[in-house]
Amino acid sequence: MKDFYLIYKNLTRKKMRLFLTTFAIFIAFLIFGAIMTLRSALNSGIEMSADNRLVVMHKISFTNPLPYAYVNKVKAMDGVKDVTHANWFGGYFQEPTNQVVTMAVDPESYLSVYPELVVEPEQLENWTKDQSGILIGERIAKANNWQIGDRIPLSSNIFSQKTGGQTWDFTVDGIFKGNDAKVDTGYALIHYKYFNETQAWGGDSIGWLILTTTDPALNEQVSKAIDENFANSNSETKTSTEQAFNKAFIDQIGNIGLIIFGVVFMAFFTILIVVGNTMVLAIRERTNEIAVLKTLGFESSRIFKMVLVESCLLAFLGGLFGIGGAYLIVQGAAKEMARFLPNLILDEAIFGQALIYMLVLGLITGIAPAISALRLNIVTAFSRG
Amino acid sequence: MSTLLSQSAAVIKMNIQSLPRRLWMSLAMVFASAVVVAILLAFLAMSKGFEATMESAGSDNVAFFIRTGSAAELNSSAGRDQVNLIENSPGIKRDEQGPMVSPELYVIVDGIKKSTQQEANLPLRGLDQRGVNMRKGFTLVAGRMFNPGTDELIVGAGVVSQFDGFELGQEIRFGKNTWKVVGVFSTGGNVFESELWADAKVIQNLYNRGSSYQSVRAVMESPDSLGAINEYLKSEPRLTHEAQAESSYFAEQGKSLSYMAIFGWVISSIMALGALAGALNTMYTSVSDRAMEIATLRAIGFSSFSAFIGTMAEAMTLAVVGSLVGSLAAFIFFDGLSTSTLGGSFTQVVFSFSLTPELFTKGISMALVIGFISGFFPAWRAARVPVIVAFQSGR
Amino acid sequence: MTTENLFELKNVAKLFTKGKETISIFEGLNMHIKKGDFMAIMGPSGSGKTTLLNLLGGVDQPSSGEISFDGQRIDNLSESQLAKWRANNIGFIFQFYNLMPMLNAAKNVELPLLLTNLSSSERKKQVATALELVGLSDRAKHMPSEMSGGQQQRVAIARAVVSDPTFLLCDEPTGDLDRQTADEILEMLQLLNSKFGKTIVMVTHDPSAAKYATHTVHLNKGKFVKAEELLV
Repeated sequence: MKDFYLIYKNLTRKKMRLFLTTFAIFIAFLIFGAIMTLRSALNSGIEMSADNRLVVMHKISFTNPLPYAYVNKVKAMDGVKDVTHANWFGGYFQEPTNQVVTMAVDPESYLSVYPELVVEPEQLENWTKDQSGILIGERIAKANNWQIGDRIPLSSNIFSQKTGGQTWDFTVDGIFKGNDAKVDTGYALIHYKYFNETQAWGGDSIGWLILTTTDPALNEQVSKAIDENFANSNSETKTSTEQAFNKAFIDQIGNIGLIIFGVVFMAFFTILIVVGNTMVLAIRERTNEIAVLKTLGFESSRIFKMVLVESCLLAFLGGLFGIGGAYLIVQGAAKEMARFLPNLILDEAIFGQALIYMLVLGLITGIAPAISALRLNIVTAFSRG
Repeated sequence: MSTLLSQSAAVIKMNIQSLPRRLWMSLAMVFASAVVVAILLAFLAMSKGFEATMESAGSDNVAFFIRTGSAAELNSSAGRDQVNLIENSPGIKRDEQGPMVSPELYVIVDGIKKSTQQEANLPLRGLDQRGVNMRKGFTLVAGRMFNPGTDELIVGAGVVSQFDGFELGQEIRFGKNTWKVVGVFSTGGNVFESELWADAKVIQNLYNRGSSYQSVRAVMESPDSLGAINEYLKSEPRLTHEAQAESSYFAEQGKSLSYMAIFGWVISSIMALGALAGALNTMYTSVSDRAMEIATLRAIGFSSFSAFIGTMAEAMTLAVVGSLVGSLAAFIFFDGLSTSTLGGSFTQVVFSFSLTPELFTKGISMALVIGFISGFFPAWRAARVPVIVAFQSGR
Repeated sequence: MTTENLFELKNVAKLFTKGKETISIFEGLNMHIKKGDFMAIMGPSGSGKTTLLNLLGGVDQPSSGEISFDGQRIDNLSESQLAKWRANNIGFIFQFYNLMPMLNAAKNVELPLLLTNLSSSERKKQVATALELVGLSDRAKHMPSEMSGGQQQRVAIARAVVSDPTFLLCDEPTGDLDRQTADEILEMLQLLNSKFGKTIVMVTHDPSAAKYATHTVHLNKGKFVKAEELLV
């Protein structure tokens, strides 16, 4: 493109203005990148849920336990592939604020229902054999700097030991990883059997059941069958897909999506106005020059394109820096925030969206001045000058 | 000095009068600072409203007992024998019925949130008349109190406004049990209004809790009695509980949305940088637009200081107008906006955004910072416009 | 005959509507410009000089009448056809030079070549030739703001001739220059006319500038008049 040099020179003629406008766009995309990453991290539980996994809870709420007998009853039902169960341990390390999400599970069936969790076979074998062993997620291991073989005391804010006290000692037998960067590894697993035998309340109860269906198409049928089976018992159940369960949980925090959308939208709209105005101004200042170019024989459509390319270049210049900055921030924050918010990843999807929005920003801010340049009449432009 | 002032006043007046010439650029700056202020205020009002909802619930004079390490009511437990031991603690006020102690249950039930039509956790609290009497500002706004020993419940006003199906006279099913709403109560907008209340004995029975409770509240002889109570708790091996003033428990819980305020500050500060870039563009444009005027005034004998002040005043005016617009927008859209979120015990807390004068001050301060910085550098340039510009042609 | 005359204007009218009023600049204007002419057009302001220049340069179109260039009608061309026609046939020289402030001299001169299919190296060669012609080879990298008015106008002349048009249109080319510099510029135009065969039309109200032309026409109230009549 022969006009590129001309466009480049137009764009860079006022260094201060270029810097300020680029900076405004940089800010917009910094916010965009960071907030969209945050949103995707909050939603990653929904995104990563397997489509054939169902969660069975007590109908009143997830804090009410279910009888252990339900495990085998559910296993016998049609369309059910694997069943496992979990108990919320309410664990913390040393201080109640230092929460370590811990669940008491049946090792073998739990890992078959969650195939995305990857453990070295040797570590898995050790853990399966070791009643007081704990399998910790990679993120927890990093956050607390725990290694295999460490003995860690975990306290429960719910349960007490039969022997008194609320603290159990566990040996780290293994560390599980996710088969995808977005898989949450911010929790730890202990043996249900050991937990049930050592906790003071006893009672062979489980927190909730997780099962996989043989075919996602059977999800609805299986959920209905389970809930009907336990209707009118002492512990009625409510079965939902893992995805719906995770979504409902996120939604409880409030309408986060709306808040995030609101902030990003306002940031964008503001930048749009700032940049749009600057472009209009920049083109108006060049009225005379555009008239000269037209006089020299540059066609109006060519000048129209030049203005649009200029505004798009500006949008991409600021935008790419902005998304790059967001990437660096996310990289930095991911380590700091790993405790509270896993899965802070600025992925290709967000980057792709950002590219589209840069183009949109460039076109919208450029269109009005481009049209006025297109329509600029040489005769009147000169008589104004 | 007085001539400096009158000079500056004249320049400020001219600048403001020439604003319509730069209408769109000026509006962009007003808009940008308005957005920054509105976003800041929205987040601060959210955090403030939540904090107020929590803090106003707690009383200094009520001791709140939960099992050590349980952090929240939901995880705590207290057997009947333990409640009896707590009743014997020193420092607890007594009336004709004995020690003023309220053992309570706290279970989670599901309600349908009006805004999302999704299920969300609501707390069902079991207590008796003694416990009800301990809540500051408790009034029944409709219906009557539940009768002990029945499956009647009363509903907080916040629950009625944010959740479906809790109106007076409705029947509600939680699991196998059906409850009847016989009253709606208010506690002056605090967190208790996000709860459902029923007789503790009935809940023990329906939820297989035997004779155990979860938390215990007790009226103290004075706020200073807390020390004596905690000493007693330590000395009694059958008790695994700790006591704190109810007010400090809720103050702690109230901080759980403070991350929203931090988030608000971070995001609006970053946006303020973007707005600042726009505002600087506006002000530099203003200076180059007025270069001829400035030079002419300087040629007549106006000081460069007046040129500086004139530009500064223009920037401050635009930023302040923006902050007023932003504050007004935040006030119209957010003040009193009722919503609910997840509180410390995995249950929904209904609260209202609250815009206090103190928050408005923060918003306007932020705009003043934008105005000052975006005015200063262009004003510096304005002060240095050479007088000779006045004698050059328009080109 | 078509080979004789570069421009032919037949019965040209140009009307402007201003509110409800219609103002006539020309009516029934006839004119021809021979190939190889260096014509000066003089006249007081409001006489229609600029409008005539706009019509000749193809940046404006007549309300009625015919304008032919080298035997070809240009009054009925579309805007984009006119743009191409200007690019191929006309070199413009303005009173205020109208150089692009962000481009250096060489890049300014290169502008019209962007409208051709020449390669980058061919463009560079032609730019160098044009700058040499106006005696500014050593200023190729200078920005307009670093040059005097006369130098800027010479860059503008180089820009006008770089694509080798047959016709040069000059609008008060010396209006903003001192006498000595003006004479240098006019000598250069004269050279372009005599040595390179460019047909030139120059609008001016400076009689001493008009002396450089091969002949001068006077315009008053939209009509060609004899020089003596203007003095009345």
